Order: sequence, then C-alpha cells, then structure tokens
Amino acid sequence: MFLARISLRNFRNFENEVIELPQEGAALIGANGQGKTNLLEAIYYLEIFRSFRGARDDQLVNFGAEYFRVEAHVACVDDGEGGEAVEVAAGYVRDGRRKKVTINGGEAARMAEGIGRIGAIIFTASDVEMVAGGPGARRRFLDIALSLVEPSYLADLQRYRQILTQRNELLRERGDASSLAAWNDGLVAVGSRIMQARARWISDARPRFSRHCEAISGGEEAAMEYAPSVSMINGEQADGSKLTREEWESAFREQLDRLRERERRRGVTVVGPHRDDLRLGLLGRRDQLSLRAFGSAGQQRTAAIALRMVEAETWRESRGRRPIVMLDDVFAELDPQRATRMFEMLSSQEWGQVIVTSPKPDDYALMGGRLSEYRIERGRVNRI
Amino acid sequence: MSVIDDLASEFARLPGIGRKTAYRLTHHLLKSPPEEAGRLAGAIVTMAERVKRCAICGSLGETDPCEFCLSGVRDRTTICVVEEASDIAAIEGSGSFRGLYHVLGGCLSPLDGIGPEELKIDALLARLDDGVGEVILATNPSVEGEATATYLHKVLASRGMSVTRLARGLPVGGDLEYADGVTIAQALAGRRDM
Ligand SMILES: [Zn+2]
Repeated sequence: MFLARISLRNFRNFENEVIELPQEGAALIGANGQGKTNLLEAIYYLEIFRSFRGARDDQLVNFGAEYFRVEAHVACVDDGEGGEAVEVAAGYVRDGRRKKVTINGGEAARMAEGIGRIGAIIFTASDVEMVAGGPGARRRFLDIALSLVEPSYLADLQRYRQILTQRNELLRERGDASSLAAWNDGLVAVGSRIMQARARWISDARPRFSRHCEAISGGEEAAMEYAPSVSMINGEQADGSKLTREEWESAFREQLDRLRERERRRGVTVVGPHRDDLRLGLLGRRDQLSLRAFGSAGQQRTAAIALRMVEAETWRESRGRRPIVMLDDVFAELDPQRATRMFEMLSSQEWGQVIVTSPKPDDYALMGGRLSEYRIERGRVNRI
Repeated sequence: MSVIDDLASEFARLPGIGRKTAYRLTHHLLKSPPEEAGRLAGAIVTMAERVKRCAICGSLGETDPCEFCLSGVRDRTTICVVEEASDIAAIEGSGSFRGLYHVLGGCLSPLDGIGPEELKIDALLARLDDGVGEVILATNPSVEGEATATYLHKVLASRGMSVTRLARGLPVGGDLEYADGVTIAQALAGRRDM
C-alpha cells in the first residue's frame, strides 16, 4: 500500500495541487514557510481527520477561500501484504462549519469508520513535546496510537469525554449524591475499558521503547511505564497489564468513593483516565530519572523518535502491513551521531513508503538516493 | 418582511430545516394549487387543537387519558419508560409490546440543566401501585439515556420493582426514534434485568 496521489484544494497555502508519488517515497525539499509541513498535515488529516498540529479546521482553509478539500488515492502493490486500494477524501466548509469524510466516494457515517485508512505514521520536530511537555501530550499520543490499532478505542474515548463533561457540570452545580451516582456506572465502565487498553499497549511497548532509545542514543537506557490516575490495588502487577476489566472497575469505583469529598470541593472529577500519564525515564545507575525533568534536549528528542517508532511497529503488527512513514525535518534537530544512527535505523527498517521533508536535498533527506526529489515553493510542488 | 419571508422564517424554526430549505418549501407551496396550502394549514391547526398530552403517561393522542391508558386489552402489569412521546410510535411499530407507556420528557443532562426534578419521575412512581410488576427502561443508548436508566433503576429497585433494560443492538448513539421495527423487537425480546 502506498500513497499514489494527493490532491489539495485551498488547504493552507495550497490552492490547487495534484501530486503523484512513487511507491518508494519522496523527499519534499523547500525553504521554511513554503508548505512542506502543510503537505504532511494534509496527508495526515486524511488519517485522523484533524490537524496533527492541533489547528482548528477553519485555520486550515486557504486565506480568502470558503472551503478546503483533500483527496488521497492509496494504491495497492503486489507485495504479499494484501490490503485494498482506497480513496479517502475530506472537506470542510466555513459556512456552517460542515465537515464531510468520504471513503471510496461514500460518506462515512461516523469519523471512526474512516480513521486510519491511509496507514501513516508521522515524525515531527514538535514530537519532543510528548517528552518535554505536560501529560496531555502523552495522553494524546496514546490515544492516537490506540485509536489506530483498536477499533473500539476511539468510540470509548468519545463516550468517556461526554460522560465526564456531564459529570463535571453536575459537580460544578453541586448536584446531589444520587444524581452523581447515575453517572458513575458509565464513567467506571467506559473508563476501565480505556485504562485496560492503555495498560496492555504500554506493557507491550515498553521493551521496544528501550530498545529504540538505546539504538539511537548509542547505549543510553530508557524506560516507560503506565502511570494511571486510578492507582492499582495489586502491587505485584506493577504495570496493570494483567488486571482484568473487573479489577480496573472496582479500583476506579473504590477511588471515586474515597475521593468524593475532594471532587465535591473542587467541583471536578479528580480521578480517571483523563488524568493518566505515561512516565518516561532514563535508567540511571540506581534509580530512574524523569526524562521530562532531567533529560537533555538530545535525550528528549531521542525518546520522542522512539515513541513514534513504537507506534509504527504496533501499527504494522496490528494491520499486518508496513505503514507509510512521514519524517518532518527530524534530522536537523539531532546531533550528527544521533542523526547518523537514526538514519541507519530508518534505512534498515522494513518501512513502506517514506516521505521526508527537508530544507536541503542532502543524503539524509533523499535516503541515500532511494527517494525521488520534489521541490516545494509557495504552495506549488514540482518533481525534479 | 413580506408574507413569503414570514412563512419561510416559521419553517426555519423547525428542527433540521435551514434557511435555504425553508425558502424551498415556501416556494413549493406558492407554485402548488391554493388547496394544497389550505390542506397543510388545516392539518396543522387541527393537530394543534386536538392533540392532547395524556395526564397519566404523557403520550400524545386525541384523548386524555390516552388510548393506551384507557385500553381494556393492554397488559397493565408492564410499563415501558421512554424519553419522548415520539419514541412510542417506534416501539408500537415493532408490534411486540402490549403494555403501557410512560414518557419522561427527556433524559438527565446537567449541561442542559435537566436533573431528576425536570423529568416525570414522580408521576411514574405514582403509577406503580396498581399491580405493575415490570418496568422496562427504553431510554436511548446515549450516555445521557444510560445515566437516566441507571438513576431510575436505583429508584425503582428500592421499591421492589423488577427493572429491565432493552438489550444492546440498537445502534450506539442512535435514537430509538430512528431504529427499525425488527431491531426494536429484538431489543425488547432480549431485555435484561438490571
Ligand atoms: Zn396515557
């Protein structure tokens, strides 16, 4: 499977572009502000139907235009991986803020139906926020990674947010205990499904994460672990991945009861997967140091890349095929040693199509000549 | 504003009708023979005059009490609780329920300022003395509908009532109102104790 064609209409600084891409991939070369990242944003928009940069849909519409539309044709190749060719399109109209997603020309009834059809993983310089920033960025990473591999996860997440919003409103207006209890069943049931999925994913990802960190950094060990807001009762099962749904439910319920007074005082739900974190650390001689607090810029970037590598691997295993990998100017941020190791790792991996952006057409960007070169200038794209 | 704009703005107040559709409907009526507009206007006036809300169950019909509450053949030991009167038509359409109804008039939703007091829950409790054995909770499968069912279950179970919930199978997030008869019949047949 590879992205054979992408059409953009009024998306950011692209007015009307149709770009054909070869199976091996492309290096998109251009100075800053010409639209390299915008193009990756458009491609990834068709994967999750929102901006990976956190922009609102109306901010994606070309200045002065009324709508944007992005279409992709994902083609099939005879590589034994199977899969089907697919056309994914998304459009947004300013008037009425209408958004429409179509798969093979048919409108998707729900976003979840269309999500993950492109099969792309994106590495960007801002990924470092996942390591250096607050827990929200790490939850977002987990949520996207899990939504792409577990079909019911996104629906659970949306349902959990709805329940949480209603319950918080009730707490804010000091609703009585029996009204509050009516929302607890749903919060606990859906929240436990989310925590169980996260715990399992993280447990599976942990050794991969350390391996990738070690490989890029050249020997520094790192670790990840689930830090659920609902603390686990059973100390032996430290990572929570062996806990049953019922065990998560009773732990969650017990802590809701215990923290009842505090949440009444604060007027907000104080425990649950909306407060989870993914703890990332450096393995020191005696203890573990938080990468967020003590990691150097290079160590933090390494960990961010390792997280994306894990995402790509779990994606590949769950789908049984290689993802399309997009690298948004990631080599520039790394010191030469890390960049070389990263480059070697990426070149040796069994990736599918690779799309790289870079200001210069150097060896890294062109993957040693494997990729075709495209020039991007003011929203126009030309193959060299 | 012209009389044309007047009518269009009335249409535009209806759910699901935007400004464009409102004008399309208005112009459709303008092009049709005058009798057609007369029939539509007459039907609206008659409906508004004749349809009453049943003081017992909250359903809409031409009599108060309604045909269900007055019926001599319906099963008076089972009450099916729904959010809106419009849900009744969907359940009746399945042809697999012969008991009575109770309309809550919505569902719990703190964001919309709807708590238990805003729903017809006291009226439901008041009906439970007359030999009612089972209450079926047929609120929607939305998070609000589920919370409402949880709330009612606690209230009803404390009074020794047998409480059942429609089986899953209704499309998640899909309203009862739009489910087809076969789906509803299956959901009713598979209802479970809460
Ligand atoms: Zn009645």
